[in-house]
Amino acid sequence: MASISLVVVKRVKPLPSWVAPLLSFTLGIAVATVLLWIVTLGRTDPIVVLASIGRALAMPQLLLKNFALLTIVGIGLLVSFKASVFNIGGEGQFYFAIIAATWIALFSGVGAIAIINKVLMLVVGVLLAGFWALIAALPRGFLGIDEVPVTLLMNYIAYYIVDYLVFNPWREPKYKYPRTPTIPEESWFIRIPGTTGTIELILLTVVVMAGIWYLMNNTRLGLAINVMGSNPNVLRVVGINPSLIVVSSLVISGMIVGIAGVSYLAGEAHLITIPAEACTPMLGYTGILVAWLSMLRIAYVPVAAYIVSALINAGINIQIAGAGKASVVDVFIGTILLIYSISVIFTEYSVKIIVKR
Amino acid sequence: MLVEHIVVKEVTKRFPGTLALDKVSFTVYRGEIHALLGENGAGKSTLVKILYGIYTPDEGEVYINGKKLVITSPRDAVAHGIVLVSQTPTLINDLTIVENIILSLRHYNLFTRTRRVYSEVYSVLESLGLGIDPNTEVYKLTYTQKQMIEIARALLLKAKVLLLDEATSYLPLTEKKKLFDFLKKYVKKGNSVILITHKLPEALEISDRITVLRKGKVVGTVEKKKADITVIRRMMFGDTEFAPEAIKQRESIGNGVTLFIENLWVKGELGEYMVRNVTLSVRKGEILGIAGITGSGQIELFEAIMGLRKVERGIIKIDGVDTTNKDTGFIRSLGVGYIPDNPLEHGLSIDHTLAENIALCPKYSSFIIDWHAIRQDADRLVREYGIVTPSINTPIKLLSGGNLMKMLISRELEYATKLLVAYNPTRGLDEYTANKVRRNIKEKKAKEGLSVIFASEDLDEIFELSDTIAVMNSGRIVGVFDKYRATRDRVEELMVM
Amino acid sequence: MYIVQVLSTTAPLMLAYYLASLGHSIVEKSGVLNLAIDGVFVLSVAVAFAQAIYTWNNPLIPVVISVASSIAVGLILVYTTSKLPVSHGAIGLSLMFLCYGLSGVIGVPARTQQGLTGQEVGYPISPVSSVWVLLYIVVVGLGFLLHYILERTKLGAMIKASGEDPLVAEALGVDVLKTRILAGVLGFALIGLGASAFELLYTRIWREGTGIGHGWIAFAVSLSSGRHPLLGIITAFLFALLYEYRFSILAVGLPREMADALPYITAITAMVIYMATPLKTKLKTPKSLGKPFFKEERTI
Repeated sequence: MASISLVVVKRVKPLPSWVAPLLSFTLGIAVATVLLWIVTLGRTDPIVVLASIGRALAMPQLLLKNFALLTIVGIGLLVSFKASVFNIGGEGQFYFAIIAATWIALFSGVGAIAIINKVLMLVVGVLLAGFWALIAALPRGFLGIDEVPVTLLMNYIAYYIVDYLVFNPWREPKYKYPRTPTIPEESWFIRIPGTTGTIELILLTVVVMAGIWYLMNNTRLGLAINVMGSNPNVLRVVGINPSLIVVSSLVISGMIVGIAGVSYLAGEAHLITIPAEACTPMLGYTGILVAWLSMLRIAYVPVAAYIVSALINAGINIQIAGAGKASVVDVFIGTILLIYSISVIFTEYSVKIIVKR
Repeated sequence: MLVEHIVVKEVTKRFPGTLALDKVSFTVYRGEIHALLGENGAGKSTLVKILYGIYTPDEGEVYINGKKLVITSPRDAVAHGIVLVSQTPTLINDLTIVENIILSLRHYNLFTRTRRVYSEVYSVLESLGLGIDPNTEVYKLTYTQKQMIEIARALLLKAKVLLLDEATSYLPLTEKKKLFDFLKKYVKKGNSVILITHKLPEALEISDRITVLRKGKVVGTVEKKKADITVIRRMMFGDTEFAPEAIKQRESIGNGVTLFIENLWVKGELGEYMVRNVTLSVRKGEILGIAGITGSGQIELFEAIMGLRKVERGIIKIDGVDTTNKDTGFIRSLGVGYIPDNPLEHGLSIDHTLAENIALCPKYSSFIIDWHAIRQDADRLVREYGIVTPSINTPIKLLSGGNLMKMLISRELEYATKLLVAYNPTRGLDEYTANKVRRNIKEKKAKEGLSVIFASEDLDEIFELSDTIAVMNSGRIVGVFDKYRATRDRVEELMVM
Repeated sequence: MYIVQVLSTTAPLMLAYYLASLGHSIVEKSGVLNLAIDGVFVLSVAVAFAQAIYTWNNPLIPVVISVASSIAVGLILVYTTSKLPVSHGAIGLSLMFLCYGLSGVIGVPARTQQGLTGQEVGYPISPVSSVWVLLYIVVVGLGFLLHYILERTKLGAMIKASGEDPLVAEALGVDVLKTRILAGVLGFALIGLGASAFELLYTRIWREGTGIGHGWIAFAVSLSSGRHPLLGIITAFLFALLYEYRFSILAVGLPREMADALPYITAITAMVIYMATPLKTKLKTPKSLGKPFFKEERTI
């Protein structure tokens, strides 16, 4: 009796690293388009879908906000992914930074004082986001508890903390809408005319990229984070405590994501709307896609962020039988990410089909 | 009347870069315990793995009961009544004994209650002298009990041939005796045992015949009655020419004690004591060589010195500072260099460049890495040790094994100011570089008073490099000799006793 | 009686959480990290709803198709993670996104049709009749059945072995891929059943996003109970009760959000406790959960 089996073998020579991301973008968009066409029983026109994505890609001024925010989140997550610590808790860290920044802007009394307010929002936001990451980092570093479920579940805890704050003490008093009052205009980031972005956001994006590039390439901490991801034993032998590296990478990661949270509040939302779990821009999750597709290279994060933000914008424009835009974007993101997660291994492995008799 | 049970004919097995077995032939008769002896890398394990279907031979044939067989998987081997028990128990810790055993019994279907094999398992365990409830979880068992479970499983699988690949190495004496008694009864029923061991006396005690392998070839097979320790030792190690070094270097040894170890007990990966009551000291400028068969506890001893493995009992002091169970970073900061047993897994990060691997060490850089200074250091090491690399910014996984080793040695030798702890420091090096490394170590000892503790599988190296030679066997130090008083015969004998 | 009132209103949600968490536990016991659960749950909810609309509330077809879609997604997860050296987390999250998206695309047209026809879906569980008792019987019965399979049969030993140490399991003669596929089919079928129960017995309405987060509560039930089928009954009941009565706990002076967050807090606390205390022997995470497993085939 003949049987066919798939055998996975290591390649002698790895494929170029750009193959997998490129393949997953093109194949992912194609598969997702076909999938939508099938599931809606032919009611979505693939041409319309593709045209919409093309249009979004060609309008950078409309992508600016999401592009910059995703770059920051992507870079932040990259720091932990480099150490093989999978920070899925970007959402929670994002919201904790927003909580801190909102408090500074609304209740600390400095909300209207130029410069100081923004600096304080950033500093306190980043610290609180880092603290939230630390809660997951400690059990991971010292007890070996998997950070993936912990950071993930903590997102929901963060949402509910936001919901509680906004629903009760921070609720906008006038109409009792489920949201906070708008933060003082003095604390808003300055919009770049004709775009969706703000000056501070662009500056922060540049600073984050440069800062993390320096950290990863010119410090022993950065080097240790890198080595942690490929061989933690070496750290032990050299005399560096791997637990501390795990904790540092996750906390730094959370702090960077926090920068995006503050920027989102000050540059875009200007208030918190609840329920957070439904109103979130989901950047903590989409950032994962950006970080993965960048192959964990800082220089490629903006490229991935650009394409993903174009997909988000395209999704907004595609109306499928009344299905929400989020759904369409999710189909694209899910398909691309799935194809990438599988195809990336073929950089190092290949599959052979063996027929046994 | 001798009946051939297993016949191995002219079996050859190549691995990339080595010839593991070179036309090996030997015969196991029905009802005998056949010992396979040899140094590390002699090919014993490869041979039993071929019989167990883990490897298939490149050339040659295997006959069982006179029938030529091609065994392609362990499943195949089990079907022919061949079962392997190795040094590391193949058991799942969180399952119970019956659960572990039922996994291997193919004639039970998915919904068979595990209880159905309970009594069967119980009686086999009892016959092995093991009164354990088969519903006990495996993690509650001692190493010895786990090994017995392995043998019990082999019996439940109806093994006609038991392959014991160093399975008895770590068993305590009383348990070993019990097992040997059992094996003697077992072969009386027409079964056979192939026993791999390092221990000569063990082989002489239990086996009917002994086959010695060296470097992939059969040196010979000896009947137990005609065997004698000296003869077999010669067969195992060969008659190596040994010329003692002419220049004496004793004067470089100082009075201060750099490394002091007292009554040290350390457990190994399997939870058994691998270092047993070791007391040693290394003086300033002294090189202490530890001779011993691999797995005698050298790795665990070194890891304990480096703070990488927990010390259960005893004291370690480096230069008067108590470093027992201290953090590795602290121990290293005292000026301790370390060449670990598995350089690719523990010494170097192969995804990173030579410069990065150097920068990782605290001595070479502060928090902010001065890449300029690192590059100078790296260039110097590359020059001095003749490391062949396209550049210092090439990921080191692209370097050859020898060059990786050079890189590690150069980094650690530079790093060590007080003490160098090294496991097989010249493994993988060509003779020229190996000599150079030995010379560098001696130079550093003479000029800077560096103390060295090292272990090596190569006795020539032990004799050439050491001022003092300690022999380690089963976790104990069984002899300490001044280099000029040690004889090769005596050291070899202590290694395999 | 008040207790009957509480038990009967909690029953449908408890059933949904319990079935999904039980399925999740089996999948994870076999070593596959299941981050797709929330997505799969939401997708199965949408499929159950859409099919109920299209079949005029047929009692069987929506459940069957919902379960089938859950199994289909689950098999992608199980097969890729057991055959290839891929990241369990990455595949799970990708599938989560994909399922979120598909649920919207599948559910919205059905919702539109519902707007036109006014077709109602599902079956309310009334406290007056004693149908709710049946739900508890199903829960307890399944709990004991799965506990029996996991702890008393060869299949259970195979599943646990694949989750603890797949390489050793292979060496012992277990076909890890087949075992995980078996566990995956069983597990995702239960997740799909749970989602159907959620839609058809509990919410009985649908709008975009229905079910999001409830898959994670099932995940939390499973983690909190250390993936133990019998302990899971208690946690599923508690979390369902908490969710059902989250507005009532305001009366005790606790914020409603506290009740919302409690399952997640309990799950994380439980994970820490199970890892750091003697309870770990029975309730800890399977040792190889989420670790890439694949055999690089030897070239013979």
